[in-house]
Amino acid sequence: MNEAVANVEAVMEKAPTIPQKPPVRTNRETDERLRKIFSAIGAPLISFAIFLFIWSQVASHVKVNFGSIPGPMAVWKQAGVLWDAHWAERQKETEFYQELAKRRADFLAKNPGQTFPDIKYSGPPTYFDQICTSLETVFTGFLIGSLIAVPVGIICGLSRPFFNAVNPFIQIFKPVSPLAWLPIVMIMVSALYNPPHPWFEKAFLSSAITVAMCSLWPTLINTALGVASIDKDYLNVARVLKLGWWKQIWKIILPSALPYIFTGLRLSLGVGWMVLIAAEMLAQNPGLGKFIWDMFQNGSSDTLAQIMVAVFTIGFIGFALDRLMLLLQRLVSYDAKAI
Amino acid sequence: MNSKLSSNFRETTRRQFLKTTAKGVLAGAALGALHPLALRAAGVTVEKPVLKFGFIKLTDCAPLVIAKENGYFDDEGLYVSLEAQANWKILLDRVISGELDGAHMLAGQPIAATIGIGTKANVITPFSMDLNGNGITVSNDLWKQMQEADPKLNVPQPPHPISASALAPIVKRNKDAGTPLKFGMVFPVSTHNYYLRYWLAAAGISPGYYINGDTTGTTNADVLLSVTPPPQMPATLAQGTICGYCVGEPWNEQAVFKGIGVPVITDYEIWKNNPEKVFGVTEEWAGKNPQTLIAVVKALIRAGQWLDASHDNRVKACRILSQPQYVGADEKVIANSMTGTFEYQKGDKRSLPDFNVFFRYDATYPFYSDCIWFLTQMRRWGQIAEAKPDEWYAATAKKIYRPEIYLQAAKALIAEGKIKSTDVPETDGFKAPDSNFIDGITFDGRKPNDYLNQFKVGLKD
Amino acid sequence: MGFLRLQNVSKGYGASGSRTEVLRDINLAVEKGEFVAIVGFSGAGKTTLISLIAGLIKPDSGMLTLNDLEITEPGPDRGIVFQNYSLLPWLSVFENILLAVESVNPNWSAEKKKQHVEKYIAMVNLTAARDKKPRELSGGMRQRVSVARALAMDPQILLLDEPLSALDALTRATLQDEISRIWLEDKKTIVMITNDPDEGIYLADRIIPLTAGPNATLGPSFQIEIPRPRDRKGINHDPHFKQLRREIIEFLLNSKGQRQTAITKKLILPDIEPDDLAIPRATFGDRTKPVRRREIKRVEADA
Repeated sequence: MNEAVANVEAVMEKAPTIPQKPPVRTNRETDERLRKIFSAIGAPLISFAIFLFIWSQVASHVKVNFGSIPGPMAVWKQAGVLWDAHWAERQKETEFYQELAKRRADFLAKNPGQTFPDIKYSGPPTYFDQICTSLETVFTGFLIGSLIAVPVGIICGLSRPFFNAVNPFIQIFKPVSPLAWLPIVMIMVSALYNPPHPWFEKAFLSSAITVAMCSLWPTLINTALGVASIDKDYLNVARVLKLGWWKQIWKIILPSALPYIFTGLRLSLGVGWMVLIAAEMLAQNPGLGKFIWDMFQNGSSDTLAQIMVAVFTIGFIGFALDRLMLLLQRLVSYDAKAI
Repeated sequence: MNSKLSSNFRETTRRQFLKTTAKGVLAGAALGALHPLALRAAGVTVEKPVLKFGFIKLTDCAPLVIAKENGYFDDEGLYVSLEAQANWKILLDRVISGELDGAHMLAGQPIAATIGIGTKANVITPFSMDLNGNGITVSNDLWKQMQEADPKLNVPQPPHPISASALAPIVKRNKDAGTPLKFGMVFPVSTHNYYLRYWLAAAGISPGYYINGDTTGTTNADVLLSVTPPPQMPATLAQGTICGYCVGEPWNEQAVFKGIGVPVITDYEIWKNNPEKVFGVTEEWAGKNPQTLIAVVKALIRAGQWLDASHDNRVKACRILSQPQYVGADEKVIANSMTGTFEYQKGDKRSLPDFNVFFRYDATYPFYSDCIWFLTQMRRWGQIAEAKPDEWYAATAKKIYRPEIYLQAAKALIAEGKIKSTDVPETDGFKAPDSNFIDGITFDGRKPNDYLNQFKVGLKD
Repeated sequence: MGFLRLQNVSKGYGASGSRTEVLRDINLAVEKGEFVAIVGFSGAGKTTLISLIAGLIKPDSGMLTLNDLEITEPGPDRGIVFQNYSLLPWLSVFENILLAVESVNPNWSAEKKKQHVEKYIAMVNLTAARDKKPRELSGGMRQRVSVARALAMDPQILLLDEPLSALDALTRATLQDEISRIWLEDKKTIVMITNDPDEGIYLADRIIPLTAGPNATLGPSFQIEIPRPRDRKGINHDPHFKQLRREIIEFLLNSKGQRQTAITKKLILPDIEPDDLAIPRATFGDRTKPVRRREIKRVEADA
């Protein structure tokens, strides 16, 4: 027994040590990584390239009554034109205000004590001004809609009879298109909004209110759902702690329903953005919708390309807004299963 | 900002950039010309210097655009922004609601609003923007049928004016088959509606009546007329939804340019030097801002004068109007009608220097008789439901058309030496009896009911 | 007298016709500072019982009083530790307990509230997890937070609704010791519901079984005279413990068993007398038919 052990030990001492090589990435691991990168980035890039190719083929080969459909390069060119036009207009505006400042100084020097009226530059809004106007309008409408939808949704979720009373109206008004609301809203705003010093343009208000009316439904329904499906245990906690109803809503019900509310808000913003473009076309709010309609009325050979630039802009902005809301939604979510 | 993109891309943009910078310099110079609130000759200041006017994208909004671009508004101490509107109804509504201070309007709009057709509000006009400027275009298919019906038309340069009698047999054929021809016009009280009806009625075709509560105006019609917004007219014509339309420019020339239709007649040939667009404001606004209104009219008169001053000016105007914030159509399409020519069939381009008249022939004076003509047409087709005595016509015209404001503006301009005293007509507001109509009937503004009785087609008094 | 008293409390659910009587004639008296364990089967109505005491539901008949005041609605004087912990998942440990403290003592200064909360966090040994959200805690830790929250309300009586049922055996053991330790510090009155008799006997002063449902009622109360502090390992050999355990389990099983011996169906079995195979018999013939018992009897009676 002991001899064998000694032999083995001798052999072990003589055996050369195998040098340790550093760990090598196997072929399979590299393949795996490449596949993941391809799937995440490569696939969309390729599909985008295919889309551009098909588009340019269709554009050059399909002839329409009104000339040809603009291809990707024509649209890109128009985007450049709009960009330059924006900066040219800004230049004019700066010059105008410089002149105006001189006038003002002159006038006040000659007529001390009198007031120089508040003059604004009267050039047409540029494409980027219009984008800003659209964004302002959609956020205003979204805010108005949410300020109505969230409280009403909470009450709907808490009280079954209230929900039953309100539900028929929700179901009837939810499917109404913005183009149907708009004339009514415009007439009402025209008749009722006549303050001596208006803060808002009537067209702006009409568009914002129409956006609110169409976009408040997802938030309302989701809020009601979120409040109604609150875990009974949380309400029991509230009862044991004898929380007043305001504290209950603020500390227990709202935080619990917040993920649902944010889902609703996200849907609402998406709907609102779509509705806005249609509303602006008719209400004449100087935003992207009006831009499209004006370009259409021009009927020039650049019209289709300009409208396509607007289409892509609308799409990208809608996408960005959605991502923003998703981010906010993630921030307020909690893992509901981990009570 | 100078990128490495190919010069091709940048060419248009560079031109635009230079254009707009040049304009910036011009605007600056205009500002420098006269101190906006300096005491002017009469020692008056405007009540409301910052104004917003609306317009529709048609070439006869030119006086407004030129008044702004050439600095005439600046000279009067006005800071005007011009905003294109979606359609005539919205434009009128926004003027009435106060969102727009004033607008480029169809001559029929102040009239209809004041007497209560479509809406009720007191709208007045102190300035007529232009004469003529419309055309009637038919589809290629209809033109071929017309040429078959009347071989005289089947030549490269058919004799003008083309009356609707070539259309009459086609109209009858279609009506009997149960598919009456459809025509488009821009608004129930638009000049286009009335000129189209006049043209059709002159050949004995009934364009329909607005009687017995029919607001579409298709009662007893041989052809059906409907409202279509101007930008959609070429498209609907190409689709075959309508087979012809009456509209202002650039939509007739667009049809020729794109090969989808043939303009057959201009309203110049229906009624030589007919009133077309006006500048309208609400009576309330005019009451609150009298000096501002006079200043606006002054600027507009100067713009009209500039437009008719030379061929060169017209070319410059085409370039300005082709900018996307104004009419936006391609420059050469606008030039086709604004620089003294008009293209009918493709290749049939004729000299028509009076297609648009902005100043000559007292184009800018708001004559009562012009207003009365529109009132007679409204009565002829039933938009005015009952017969009215001659005095009513005159009294209504005096409510709506305001030559007194025009004259105050004109006098100020004469004093400043901007226009000649011979440019302003000496008149009591009624033009002399006029028989330059396609059917030869004489129109005397003082006797509207007699005029109505002369028509074969149409409601009598 | 009793600090907490239940007199003839009954509770049932459902409309008349399809009514289930969950609890019937519950009578209970708990003294101040006592630790009472109620043990029973799952579904017997234990949660219903604790909810009645907490005031979350109202009894159909009978009365519940705490300190001679009728219990009509829930309140922080009866601190309840729910079976599902019921921690608010959007609040951290600190904030969860702070909510309870703020509701009970709104007039305290912020500093005082903070110290109070931290004292209870320390009491359950969770100071390290003070700012964690419930989803970041294990089941045992969540239960401890729940207990701390209930204690932070400074209730007159602490109600534990099967607090340890959802945990694994090892964590259970740790937490049992925690509960024991906490009770020794404060000597709060505790009523604990459990489905484990061992746990009940280990922790409580008195253990009462709840019979199987429906119509569950409390069985006899068993006083636990094992001295504290109780040693987990040693207790298994304690004869009193073993006896108690046996009695409780017997009682529980009997209560369940009694229900099952109720005759619901009558089956008529064949009354055939089995053959005695020891008697030799002929292989052929003489094979008689099976004898029926009733026939045998008749023969005997005649004879």
